Amino acid sequence: MIVEFDNVGLAYDDEPETLSDINLQIREGEFRFLTGPSGAGKTSLLKMIYLAQQPTRGRFLLFGEDAANATRDALPHLRRRIGVVFQEFRLLDHLTAFDNVALPMKVAGVYQNKYREDVSELLNWVGLGHRMDAKPPTLSGGEKQRVALARALVTKPDLILADEPTGNVDPSMSERIMKLFVELNRLGAAVIVATHDLNMVQTIGKPVLRLSDGRLSRAPGAGGAP
Amino acid sequence: MSEAAHPELDATEPAETVRAPKKGMFGRPRREPLIPDAGAAGAPLTAVIAVMSFLAVLSIAAVLVINKAAGDWMTTLRSEVTIQVKGADRDDIETGVAEALRVLDGAAGVLSAKRMAPDDAAALLDPWLGEGNAQAFLNVPAIIEVKIAPDAEEELALLRTRLAAAAPNAALDNHAGWHRRLERAARSGQTLAFSILALIMSAACAISIFAARAGLAANYEVVSLLHLVGATDQFIASEVQRRFFVLGLRGALGGLVVAGLAIGGAIMAARAGVAADGFLPQFEINTPMAIWLLAAPAATCLVTALTARLTVLQALKSQY
Repeated sequence: MIVEFDNVGLAYDDEPETLSDINLQIREGEFRFLTGPSGAGKTSLLKMIYLAQQPTRGRFLLFGEDAANATRDALPHLRRRIGVVFQEFRLLDHLTAFDNVALPMKVAGVYQNKYREDVSELLNWVGLGHRMDAKPPTLSGGEKQRVALARALVTKPDLILADEPTGNVDPSMSERIMKLFVELNRLGAAVIVATHDLNMVQTIGKPVLRLSDGRLSRAPGAGGAP
Repeated sequence: MSEAAHPELDATEPAETVRAPKKGMFGRPRREPLIPDAGAAGAPLTAVIAVMSFLAVLSIAAVLVINKAAGDWMTTLRSEVTIQVKGADRDDIETGVAEALRVLDGAAGVLSAKRMAPDDAAALLDPWLGEGNAQAFLNVPAIIEVKIAPDAEEELALLRTRLAAAAPNAALDNHAGWHRRLERAARSGQTLAFSILALIMSAACAISIFAARAGLAANYEVVSLLHLVGATDQFIASEVQRRFFVLGLRGALGGLVVAGLAIGGAIMAARAGVAADGFLPQFEINTPMAIWLLAAPAATCLVTALTARLTVLQALKSQY
């Protein structure tokens, strides 16, 4: 089991719960879309999965480990198995596109001669082979998104989380990105994509989880179960 | 995931270019700092470390000069004793001198004995009595300067006994009082210099803590992202430590160069007899001294880097 939520709740400070009674299981090789209106808690749910936020109640297992009570020393090793495409990209402005993509490799202690080809390959694929030395402030929104995507995939993670990954790219690139997710999923990576793009959801035809008012449900007409 | 993790890449568009690594110093791949300089880190930190390094080198140089001067003076004092021969009149003094010189002649541990000329002995009192007055109005004691062999304490004790028997009006002075005063002065100087060095290192620690905290606060987003992509606290602390080491090294080298110029000027002035009217010893930097002088900026640099590391580790645990 990759992700397992059992009656999980999340509240910020003393506010009412943003997410309530979340019960969810994601197995190896599963692909789920996560949809819901703005403010429903999609990003909060993803944050809990990529260990940026701890649940305030319930049981949360990640890769079979108790992530809700994981020690500080255990978190980096769990995080390295997850690739995240953040909604707001979160690129480091002082590093080049190449160095941004290589960041997870550097953090994992991989030498440059080991990852140089992989990073170059990914950047070429997302159409940024000619902009490897460009820094994020000089990139367009779409280019930033593609750099963020390449960074999420460079470590070949077991779980890929994407928060609106096609929000700033053209339809053609959108389709390529989604096809890549499907292909990576076919090869064994679990994938969760939060999106508003219902057309894309229809086209890909994978199970959909719907978040509404902080509660998770199976979307009508979609396959799979929460 | 399997090894062929990105099949889409090959299927849709082959890799066009592989980025060549940027070359840095000595042809090694250049490594951009993952955490950018911010707040007090960067040029301000380098400048402060340069000043600290400069002061640290001067402190070490002061200790070395004090050690050298005290060592020279002590060696001179230990290699000489003075015999003062008093008397009721000139004849009495001359008889005492003759007896003393007879005892000294061929005595064990005595390298040479020379009576100071009466005019020169009297001239020693000129600053207090006025020029020429001592010899005119006083029965100035005779002074015999005796060079002794190193470590001749036992022979000196025997000499003192024989001298007391042969010339009771002769008194042997081994400058023990001056020894004690010089040793105290040298110790005080060393303590003062090391205290200044400790203060400099404390200041380097303080500025490093301040700069590391400011840098972390200014780079909150960067540090958060590093954590999210799997960085350990140790990795982030190492990044900061490496950056502070580089900044500290630049500052330390700058401070060392300026201090080197200042010390070189002082050495040249001492050689020319300009500084303190020749009071300072002739000073040459030998290998052990050079190692001590180089240790000061190196210590400043290491203190800066290690303090930054510990500060970051502590801050990460409490704030992130």
